[in-house]
Amino acid sequence: MELVSLKQVSSESKISLLKELGYNSDGEFVLDSKGNKVLDRYLEIPVKIDNMVLLPGSEVILDDNELSISKYFEEFGDVL
Amino acid sequence: MSYDPIESASKGATQGFLNWGEEFIRNLVLRFKDKELAFIQDEKTIKRVKEQYNSGELSFYKEYIENKEMLFLLKMGLTLRSLEKDKEGERKQNLRTKIFNKYRVKGLHIAQFVENGILNRYIGILIDDIISLEKFKKDILDILENIEKYVLFVKNYDKEREVIKQIITIIKINLSMIFIVSGISSAAQIVRNCEDKLKKLLQDYELEKMSSGEKENLFFKRILK
Repeated sequence: MELVSLKQVSSESKISLLKELGYNSDGEFVLDSKGNKVLDRYLEIPVKIDNMVLLPGSEVILDDNELSISKYFEEFGDVL
Repeated sequence: MSYDPIESASKGATQGFLNWGEEFIRNLVLRFKDKELAFIQDEKTIKRVKEQYNSGELSFYKEYIENKEMLFLLKMGLTLRSLEKDKEGERKQNLRTKIFNKYRVKGLHIAQFVENGILNRYIGILIDDIISLEKFKKDILDILENIEKYVLFVKNYDKEREVIKQIITIIKINLSMIFIVSGISSAAQIVRNCEDKLKKLLQDYELEKMSSGEKENLFFKRILK
């Protein structure tokens, strides 16, 4: 699987990417279609666009940290 | 394999960040939905997680520990160790905070127990006196589930007198066969400063040390008479 780093991508492009996926942003956090903050699936903390990771498997949006990504591996296997 | 967006996207003039065009984004999303690509921050993070996911040390633990949440905490300990080794202090502190927030102090202590290499040494001690595989498994799980009864993680603001008092109290209450005192960074010196007094107070115990510049671990093993 190809890994695209968002580290050097502008906020505008990241927001456009989120919109294309059916999400949004207030400029800081990732929001769902109803305007609610999207929570990291495993830590239940709001995901910031500067720290977001989008992984396949029902469009999993996570905070970029080793705990959340390890949990993702537990749930989906070594798919990356 | 890593994907280089620089080749495909137009470079944004502002702040040195990349600006992606609409068509390019549409194409990325299609490929994302087809599970051909993922959006990450730092590839090193994915690599580190993969290394722990496939590590030999974790495979060894899996042989003897069935509890999945416990195994996950052991994996977090290995990840903390990897971050320490790579001098990724900020990421390590961030992960410690995340572990603490999700699993509270006990979860963090279990992860630290692995990070410091104490679990490996403890398993070595158990192997010296192994009776049966079942008892061996039970003993490993017991120390992890009751970590406060077996290990004192000294903090950098702890007072030596209080540390010694706490250790003696825990040992007396639990009649511990083994007790470990562990300190990292400035707390390592506090542990070292307590060593002589503890040796005098714990004469029924044999001391084994695991030392490095940054870490000090004292294993007190009860002498069987």
